[in-house]
Amino acid sequence: MADLRTINQLARVEGHGRIRLEQQAGRVVGARIELYESMRLFEALVVGRRYDEIADIVCRICSICSTVHKVAALQAVERALNLSVSQQTELLRQLAVQGGQIESHALHLFCLALPDYLGCNGFPELAQRAPAELKRGLEIKALGNRIQELVGGRAIHPFNLLLGGLGSIPTADSLALLADQLQELLPAALATIELAAGLEESLPALPPLPGCAATDGPSLFGEQLATTDGQQIVACGAYAWLDERLTDYSHAKVSRFSEHGPYLAGPLARLNLHAPLEPSAQTALHHYAPRLLGAPLTASHLARAIELLQAIERALTLCKNLLQNRVQPEQATSVLPRAGSGTALIEAPRGLLLHQYCFSADGRCTAAQVVTPTAINQGAMAAMLTALVERLPDAAPDTFKLQAERLIRCFDPCISCAVH
Amino acid sequence: MNRPRLAIVGLTACSGCQLSLLNCEAELPLLLGQVQFELFPLACSPVQMAEQYDATLVEGCCTTAHEAELLQELRSRSRLLIALGTCAVWGGVATLRSDTPREQLREQVYGPQPPSDDGLPQPLSAYVAVDACLTGCPPEKHELLALLADLLRGNLPVRGVAPVCSDCRMRENLCLLQERDQLCLGPLTLGGCGARCPSMGVACEGCRGPAPETNLAEAMAVYQQKGFDEQTVTARLHRFCPEWRHG
Repeated sequence: MADLRTINQLARVEGHGRIRLEQQAGRVVGARIELYESMRLFEALVVGRRYDEIADIVCRICSICSTVHKVAALQAVERALNLSVSQQTELLRQLAVQGGQIESHALHLFCLALPDYLGCNGFPELAQRAPAELKRGLEIKALGNRIQELVGGRAIHPFNLLLGGLGSIPTADSLALLADQLQELLPAALATIELAAGLEESLPALPPLPGCAATDGPSLFGEQLATTDGQQIVACGAYAWLDERLTDYSHAKVSRFSEHGPYLAGPLARLNLHAPLEPSAQTALHHYAPRLLGAPLTASHLARAIELLQAIERALTLCKNLLQNRVQPEQATSVLPRAGSGTALIEAPRGLLLHQYCFSADGRCTAAQVVTPTAINQGAMAAMLTALVERLPDAAPDTFKLQAERLIRCFDPCISCAVH
Repeated sequence: MNRPRLAIVGLTACSGCQLSLLNCEAELPLLLGQVQFELFPLACSPVQMAEQYDATLVEGCCTTAHEAELLQELRSRSRLLIALGTCAVWGGVATLRSDTPREQLREQVYGPQPPSDDGLPQPLSAYVAVDACLTGCPPEKHELLALLADLLRGNLPVRGVAPVCSDCRMRENLCLLQERDQLCLGPLTLGGCGARCPSMGVACEGCRGPAPETNLAEAMAVYQQKGFDEQTVTARLHRFCPEWRHG
């Protein structure tokens, strides 16, 4: 039990991972990220379950990303069953996903990443050193949760999002109140961009990485996968293109991108793929373009801050659209089981997420595939750790490890998702 | 008064119970004056184990030998050990298909040569003595805050007995089982959530695990009367708890 005093586990990231160093004569000559999270086996757990249970089960893969997992699973199952949903349902799902984006980005920026730049160990010290910033971050985070609660019924594992529709539809009054709250937080989101832009980076200059993301207009829902080096892959071909393999050091499969790559998934990749932005976020991106476009991984926090503003503005637009369209109660579309398969691509806070399910004629799941952004990012993590070893040839192992942890936190990894 | 020293640790789970604490955004800064987060890898660095904790909150079920070792070590260093959430208390979704050999499940996910595995997902009580339980997937924030308040006063939370149906009655909800013919697990599931799901017209999925005093046979008769066969009901009951103990 000697090694338990210092548990070799990454801190301030979701899930269980560690960095393993290779040393020669006291010098670090290699570094590797190992996602040792216990095997969750969700892709097997849902086999045999009925079509209307899949999303309720798989959203339990991860709490931070539960809303986006739920929506991706619903979309994939609906495609398999050839079921369409109303425009109102579509807009409400988009709103819920933006709520998740706000909560996740605020959690990462203010609670998990900011301590690295202010020399603290976490939110308890942050509350003393930067109470105003922490308070602002928690207010933004709370608003993301409020959206998820209003639409999904709960901030974590939203039950109100159902196959074919919703249980209860939010009232016009509640959406109007939410719109006011979103409007009030726009200055805080702008201040967050300034905060992120002003953080002093102690990591050495790293080479930029090509990015990949699902793209389809202003929503985070994607019809196809695109890369910054010009590849376009349709949703049904994405799983084959990602080409997941086993390694002997991670319980998460590693994407090989059909011998290309590695590609980066997440906020920086999305901004580099020029997803359409709301006006203020577009202005912010334009202003900081030289620090973001073609930029290395360390620009991720700034990208995340711009996306935080984007998500708040986008949620506001969605509230207004729903109010203009006179949001009204409606029943979820009824479903009939049939044999089929369906794939959904969606942008989760950390990047590209794929859900794919097959069903037998009686509506039982026969196969499931989930590919998550942190699993996709394992290749990029390995490449960046190698670059860090080259750039810090004389660092003591302890110093190197601290820098390597900062580097990994730039990815905002979600290891429960990766292993699922 | 010294602030109680807490350890908050996750095993096999989604981090949702720990995130529920971080989702107490308004209360979080106030809590810092009341308790010390000594070990909380999700939110604080470094990850180092102290000699002793006043209370350890453990999320997730225990799956691997490494997790069992960690859990036992935490138990030996903690005055109180609390199972946080449905996975820690009952096993949770990780225990789905627990009747199928684990090897077969691993091959289904990883192919013919899966990584080696050394355990089965089980509730914490399979490995260590648990002083208190907070159920729910995820637990309600108010329950989590009440737990911390109890710890500050040197108490432990009282375990509820009433099913979700009681919460529904209090809120004067329409009964989804009786009046809408939906497979609602409210009659059998431990309440305390304020009937969160049925209040929005969504049937209870049993995420808080079994209520201690329910009449399973009677409930099964009602489900069958409503057209749900025993196999369907049992499969639904097992979503969060492989052994639905009752009586």
